[in-house]
Amino acid sequence: MLSRRNFLAVSAAILAAPALAAGEELKLAFIPQENPEKLLGDVRAITGWLSERMGMTVTGFVTFDHAAAVEALRNGDADISFMGALPYVLAEDQIGAVPLLSEVYRGQPSYAGRVFVRKDSGIETLADLKGRDIAFADPVSESGYLYPLDLFVREGLIADAADADNFFGRKFFAGGYQQAMQAMANGLVDAAGASQYADLLLTPDQQAEVKVLAESEQIPSHAVVARPGLDQGVQARFVETMLQLNEPGNRHLLAYLYGPDGYIAADRDVYEGVRETARRYGYLK
Amino acid sequence: MKKLITTALVGLLPVAAGATAVEQAPWAPRSAAYRLTLFMGNLTPVPWEKIKNSWTAPAPGSALSEDAMSRVTPAEASAISAALAAQDRQALFEAATAVVAQGILRHLEAAEAALGQPNAAHEVAKAEALFRAFEDGIKAADAKAARDLGRAWLVLNSSLGTAGVLGHGAQETDAERFAAAHATLETYLTENYLPAAYAEREKLTPVPESAVRSGTPVTLPATLPPGSNIADQRELPRLVLQFEEAGEDEANLPLVAYGDMLFDSPEIFGAPARELGIACSTCHNRSDVNRDFFIPGLSKYAGGMDVDGSFFNPMFNDRADDHLDTPSMRGIRFTAPYGRDGREPSLRRFIRNVIVTEFAGEEPTPFQLDALEAYVKQFDFLPNPKIDRAGRLTDLASDAAKRGEELFNTEFTGLGDRSCASCHTPERNFRDGLTYDIGTAEPPFPGGTPIHFETPTLRNINFTAPYLHDGSLPTLASVVDWFDASKNLGLDEAQRADLTAYLEAVGDGEEPYQAFEGRDSVFRLSWEELTTFASTLDTLLPMRDAQNIALLVDTVAPDLAADASVMVNQNSKPEIYKFAAILRAVGDASAAGDWDEAGLQWSQFKAMQAEIDERMY
Repeated sequence: MLSRRNFLAVSAAILAAPALAAGEELKLAFIPQENPEKLLGDVRAITGWLSERMGMTVTGFVTFDHAAAVEALRNGDADISFMGALPYVLAEDQIGAVPLLSEVYRGQPSYAGRVFVRKDSGIETLADLKGRDIAFADPVSESGYLYPLDLFVREGLIADAADADNFFGRKFFAGGYQQAMQAMANGLVDAAGASQYADLLLTPDQQAEVKVLAESEQIPSHAVVARPGLDQGVQARFVETMLQLNEPGNRHLLAYLYGPDGYIAADRDVYEGVRETARRYGYLK
Repeated sequence: MKKLITTALVGLLPVAAGATAVEQAPWAPRSAAYRLTLFMGNLTPVPWEKIKNSWTAPAPGSALSEDAMSRVTPAEASAISAALAAQDRQALFEAATAVVAQGILRHLEAAEAALGQPNAAHEVAKAEALFRAFEDGIKAADAKAARDLGRAWLVLNSSLGTAGVLGHGAQETDAERFAAAHATLETYLTENYLPAAYAEREKLTPVPESAVRSGTPVTLPATLPPGSNIADQRELPRLVLQFEEAGEDEANLPLVAYGDMLFDSPEIFGAPARELGIACSTCHNRSDVNRDFFIPGLSKYAGGMDVDGSFFNPMFNDRADDHLDTPSMRGIRFTAPYGRDGREPSLRRFIRNVIVTEFAGEEPTPFQLDALEAYVKQFDFLPNPKIDRAGRLTDLASDAAKRGEELFNTEFTGLGDRSCASCHTPERNFRDGLTYDIGTAEPPFPGGTPIHFETPTLRNINFTAPYLHDGSLPTLASVVDWFDASKNLGLDEAQRADLTAYLEAVGDGEEPYQAFEGRDSVFRLSWEELTTFASTLDTLLPMRDAQNIALLVDTVAPDLAADASVMVNQNSKPEIYKFAAILRAVGDASAAGDWDEAGLQWSQFKAMQAEIDERMY
């Protein structure tokens, strides 16, 4: 007897069938994180599995950055891309990108941005960071820049993003969560603005030496986003297949996909907070 | 418990600091080859073939399945090849160092040329990944340089600029700042890793040339090479303790609890094992084996290593590359003699041998040996309802296994008119306590006597692959094939399958791995173990046993703090750090002879334990 899950999968396949002309393929774009070259191997592993499960050719490529991923969705070089919440809302606004899935970490489809300092730094409040150096992850990162920065704005310490350079001694973009956290833990800077879980990128001994100075509101987790106009049946089949990654026998494959605990179907409404923040910082009109 | 930390990635650090092992993030191919060259180049004798493989094949611990030689210039390749061919350690060190340093400089030049384009960030990332190979050497030798260079990397990344997404979040490129940071790195690397002439290296390290030439002693933390894995087995074996299954609490057995702590303590070993956080439990995860354990240069297969090489205890170095498969310790009280070659009749002597000879520890005290022995004697086999108390198959075994049982008890000419069961005696836990030459080792010289190996138990062997003393056979089926071929047993395919089915029935066990779900987390297990270890303070404090209290605190306090990183309930992490600090205060007071204070802190520890217990998962 077919389970509901199987039934849906079969239905999706039937619905999608007319759109699958011979040689047609689903193209996925991946945003590089720590090591773009390693990601290539991961991409091969996951697209191989998706091809087999979806019964169609699924290929993947690693983009230079978020901008290139959004551009690929716009011009059809990619059908689906993995991206953070901020690039997603920008892509939605500009090109009508559609959210399909959201990542789950530690049981939650959301997380926060934090400002971390060393326990021995004597820094107790955000205001204490005036004139001090801070490392963020990346300028187009919600948890690694915009949300931690917003904590300073909400405290009335800075007026807006442009004012940050007047408040901090030096503001760095370290290139990633890990680099920002290591810079802070090693004493190269006084604070780091990064994801709630970025301290887990430090050694256990380093983790014991840092503390959280402030935490942002919750941010919807990274999303998997489709280009506008992608066949509805293919979208449904992709979502159904990706949700199978939550099953115990498939969970090991999550390591090839930025290592979330799993995925849930995306709800575009939960990104409203990100749109609002993006509007306040002039990213959205 | 030690080494639970299996998921964290420490990208920029060569290895975990402190006593808890962390899996290393993968290395760039050239960095991996360089670090493997340093590690293996310091072994005696130098394993030249393995070093060569580190360059010519994808290296263990490399992020990409690509060999380092494919990423070097022709001139660099010829320098590496010439040094390898000449087996010239110094020349190889110089060539390998130059590969990494020149690689960094080439990527930085490419980044500068590509400034303003997305590729620039990737070139910087590649340069930074290579720089990781030198980082701990610079940090140990010259804190100021480490800071200056660290800031230079921050400046490089920050001045790349970005077009943002659809024009938002754009940052200007700052070519001037980029060039200045580039120059800082180039100057340092040229002076310290590409000098006109390198000083002769007694030990191969990533310490910068200026520090080596100045003669200032540099304390470089012990590291393992890329591809090493000393974290616990991903599927954590289930521990079966006799008293626990019978309903007794370990906290009521202080000698056993203290032995349990020692089994998890790197403090009883000498350097470098102690510094690396290696304990008995590193290889013997929860009484069984750690089939993931691997150290390039020392291990031929995962799940074992050459225990008498030059790395852990040069005094015990036999200069032979003889990998030993780690035996399970399940049911160890029933499996004398000890050591694969059965050289130690007593468990106590074997434990002392591991501590002192294999891992260069101080002579353990009689109390410590009593404690370790008391603990490991509690290890039982996993229950297996497919066999009865006499080792005969029960009705739960398959027909194939039952046919295999008959074969197992059949005498064969090739076995000297004996059966498999003659040595793997079912009613003696499938071993006989004797040693044999079954042809698995070669004589040390023509006409010499090969090492005899003891008959290993077959109980629970489904979970201990690979097989034989050297781990050379990957499956039970391959063991059957080996005996069939080497002893001319004349078994046909069906018979071999039946015999394998029999071994799998005998070798089975219930619930072989620890299950983790929700609040029954890895951390919860660790919490329960570590607080049980601490409970021995109820015995040690009244005895005013400062020595054993110090050992306990040095083991448990850092472990509590380190294991916090794997908590599911990350919100309670700060409480663990505070809790560990109280335990440290017990140790400090005891060391100072302030027993009132030690008692007070211990009371606080217990009160806090009760208060936070529910949140500890």
